[in-house]
Amino acid sequence: MVTLNDYLFVSGLLFAIGFAGVMLRRNILIIFMCLELMLNAANLSLVAFSRFNLTPERTPNYNAQVLVFFIITVAAAEVAVGLAIIVALYRAKQTVQVNDINKLQF
Amino acid sequence: MSPIYLEAAVVVLGVFLLALEMFVVQGEKKILAWLGIAGLGIVLAASFFVDQTAPTGAVPSYHAFYSTDSLAMFFKRFALVTTIIVLVMSVDYLGVVRKFTPGATAHGGLGEFLALPVLTCAGLMWMASAVDFVMIFVSLELVTISFYVLVSYTRRNAASLEAGVKYLILGALSTGFFVYGITWVFGLTGQTNLEQVSAVFAAYQGSTAPLLFAFVLLVIALGFKIAAVPFQIWVPDVYQGAPTPVAAFLSVGSKAAGFVVFIRVLRTFFHATAIAHKIDLLLVAVAACTLVYGNLAALPQNNLKRLLAYSSIAHAGYLLIAVASSADPASGGAIAFYLAAYLPMTLLSFLVMIVVANYSAGDDIADFNGLSKRSPFLAFAMLIAMVSLAGLPFTAGFFGKFLVFTVAIAQHQTLLVILGIITVACGFYYYLRVVKAMYFEPDTTPSGQPGGQIPVGLLTRVTIAVLIAAILVLGIYPKPALGLLGSAAPQEAAGVLRSVSPQVVLR
Repeated sequence: MVTLNDYLFVSGLLFAIGFAGVMLRRNILIIFMCLELMLNAANLSLVAFSRFNLTPERTPNYNAQVLVFFIITVAAAEVAVGLAIIVALYRAKQTVQVNDINKLQF
Repeated sequence: MSPIYLEAAVVVLGVFLLALEMFVVQGEKKILAWLGIAGLGIVLAASFFVDQTAPTGAVPSYHAFYSTDSLAMFFKRFALVTTIIVLVMSVDYLGVVRKFTPGATAHGGLGEFLALPVLTCAGLMWMASAVDFVMIFVSLELVTISFYVLVSYTRRNAASLEAGVKYLILGALSTGFFVYGITWVFGLTGQTNLEQVSAVFAAYQGSTAPLLFAFVLLVIALGFKIAAVPFQIWVPDVYQGAPTPVAAFLSVGSKAAGFVVFIRVLRTFFHATAIAHKIDLLLVAVAACTLVYGNLAALPQNNLKRLLAYSSIAHAGYLLIAVASSADPASGGAIAFYLAAYLPMTLLSFLVMIVVANYSAGDDIADFNGLSKRSPFLAFAMLIAMVSLAGLPFTAGFFGKFLVFTVAIAQHQTLLVILGIITVACGFYYYLRVVKAMYFEPDTTPSGQPGGQIPVGLLTRVTIAVLIAAILVLGIYPKPALGLLGSAAPQEAAGVLRSVSPQVVLR
């Protein structure tokens, strides 16, 4: 039997992998994928919470599922803008490595 | 009329400007900015005539996620005024945008630069009213995603693109933390509405670990928005690289809206008495770090935009002192007054910087050398902005800091008061360096004709004069403004933060 804790564990793992990727990887596209992973970690735990914490009428709590739809939509908008910026960066500098974006420094 | 029509009107205005740009305005785009300013001015005037009372019926309405309290109204007007002044700046900045934006025609690709701030303003206004995590999340993202576009708008300029990418990655990272924080709040309470969440928190008996985990995730995310240390790493780079009006918008509009959301979320968490003292400790630590870092890192800066970025971190620190002293009923008024003072002085310095940089093609402090001889009016405006940011008496900045310190002393926040006073002294050094450059350095413009007057447009001149007047009036005779805020902010903002019993206050 899969319990709520299992879902939360997987979701925490996804969040940690995403965060580690953002911190450690040097390719902006991979960083961006890791950011999406973090959002999906939240989606997974929201759906799990919705499924396991039933309302008094024994139905799932749909608030969380609505929030998941909003997160998916916003993430799509973010990707659209983000990829456009990354493409513009690639056109200007022919690179997507964070090490090469170092013009602005202390 | 309900306040929701204000946001609707702003969105319609933004879309109208875009459509106008596409189909009607073929040449000069300045007309779009003027229409935007006029439209936002009308909405600002209308905001004084809206009906704020929430319906009391049992049927749930949009009031479950949209608050019309006076805190919300104050920050809605704040967002409108900020956007109007940002549009004035954008008119002066259009030349630079044109140079760095590829377009098919001479005026191509400029319209969005004037329409996007209007749409962002709608997002800021929704943030001011949001009392449900879904609403907070969506409006926050509306603002953040618009800013991704605006920051990287001048895409032929490598610095702007670089700033855009940095803001994109760190902004998206903070979104990830925010969403995960909301998830845990939902898991603990089964609610997304702040009021219902508070009710569950007040009766909460379980383990405090998940509660603290959720709180820390939300603080990390909101710390990014208000530029609190240690989540400030993006601020200097983004401000320096972004188009100057956008940097000004970020430093005033985005920060203020971040503070409203921060206050509302904090108010929710203070209902959980089990972790209240830990929240207090965390707030004191973040405020102390922000004060010290912002002020010390500003000392060696030579680029004025970067200097203002660190100054914006430092001011977030002073605001956080007031937030950390939130047990005091006056703290909400102090936060509101501080932000009301922060608006004219920050926008004034950015506005003067745009005008001067247009002429001397640089925004280093050295570009301001001898400005008082070339253009006494601009130099005087910058002088007022700088002494107000530093917090000298008879300026708005002084009373802002005064109120914050009064609240902090009343709450026995000794550490923060001492740090605050030391860092104010640091502030004198770096703000007055700009004044020294303007008034005591010889006139050595790198590019321009020495002694040449810097041309200032009529609209800009009027805006500068209004901002100077606002700073001086708030500084010399703050009583009416305090009274106005007293009726606007306190009841909501002030009782603000908490309804817990006084013994949990950190002493």
